[in-house]
Amino acid sequence: MSETRRKRRSLFDLISDYVEDFENLSEEMERAFTERPSWDTRSCCIEPLCSVFVAADEVVVTADLPNSNPDTIKVEQVSEDTLEIRAEMKRKVRFEEFGITHRKGEFSFFRCQTHIPVAVDIKRMKTQFKRGILEVRLPRKRGYRVKVE
Amino acid sequence: MVFLSEPVRIVERKPVPNNATMLNGLPDVGLVGLIATSHMITQLKMGEVAYVDSELLPPVVVLHEGLPYAPLRIFGNGGLVATLSEAAIPAKAVQPIMKKLVEWGQSKRVKLMVSMGGMPVQDRQDIAEPKVYGAASNQALLKTLSDKGIEILSGGFMVGPYALIMRYCAERNVPAIALLAQSFYNYPDPEAAAATIREFGKITGMQVDVSKLVESGEDIRLKARDVMKRTEQELNRMKKTQEYDLPLYV
Repeated sequence: MSETRRKRRSLFDLISDYVEDFENLSEEMERAFTERPSWDTRSCCIEPLCSVFVAADEVVVTADLPNSNPDTIKVEQVSEDTLEIRAEMKRKVRFEEFGITHRKGEFSFFRCQTHIPVAVDIKRMKTQFKRGILEVRLPRKRGYRVKVE
Repeated sequence: MVFLSEPVRIVERKPVPNNATMLNGLPDVGLVGLIATSHMITQLKMGEVAYVDSELLPPVVVLHEGLPYAPLRIFGNGGLVATLSEAAIPAKAVQPIMKKLVEWGQSKRVKLMVSMGGMPVQDRQDIAEPKVYGAASNQALLKTLSDKGIEILSGGFMVGPYALIMRYCAERNVPAIALLAQSFYNYPDPEAAAATIREFGKITGMQVDVSKLVESGEDIRLKARDVMKRTEQELNRMKKTQEYDLPLYV
């Protein structure tokens, strides 16, 4: 970087760069501990793509479950802040179908666990399955209301 | 960063035709462009003509029937060349690679650069037929899109590889359009890919059958999970969600 360009950078730019570097580093570290294959031959499970969206009044969890049998989908709260989604596939899938011949194994289930970052009322959970996407809507637990004067 | 060699180079393995239409199928939301372009390459029996080599890309090769290939390759057949990346492109590499692809396209005097991709929408699962929006590098092409019944993206932000391709093409007067179908953000979307191929046919007159793509949609979604996951990580680094932001026009 040239001296002139360096001088033009404000303190805020430098802080912003440091924050970004720190975020990237923490992301890399987290990934080093959590990254694993998206399949498990021992349990015959494939981990589906899954996402969590926290809105003002609800948490929406979705999972992409292609080739799954809608009647077999199960959504279960496995701990205070963790939701598990399971589904059976309509047909078994083998590594060969992904163009991989050096691994052996077949998969019959989807399974994933997802962290729910805020308190929700699991009893009022609603689910919908459309176009192979499971959508789970969980109303957020409300705290107390502050009177505005 | 100081590069001892060129940061990005395009290595041609076969003669590349001039005045071709250049299609870009790069990993982005819903992997729409990647799925669409991959389908077109198979349907039109396009062969590899070049590949992209860069020290900014991870040390990855893809194996096809035991042989190693670069993940980012260019295919060709007659008047069409297509760029396809089988692996997510790191956010830090997007800018130099897109610049190089546009420079290369210009050197081959491409008559039209077409980027097919997705435009994430909420409640995508409620949409039976994704609508395709268009963007163009010049006024005449905007009119062409409108004349073909494609709604124009008139405002807002574009983020990611296609945003840069459009910008560099506009700077260099390379005719370029983007066809963006309503899609999932982080789930592979073959239906959206089929919608962009249909619109591509309307613009260029090059019709490609999408029935196999639609039929095998569930299998594609299953196979594309890992590429989608890594692509999402890179999209987050590019601040892709800025596309949801409302622009400030005073």
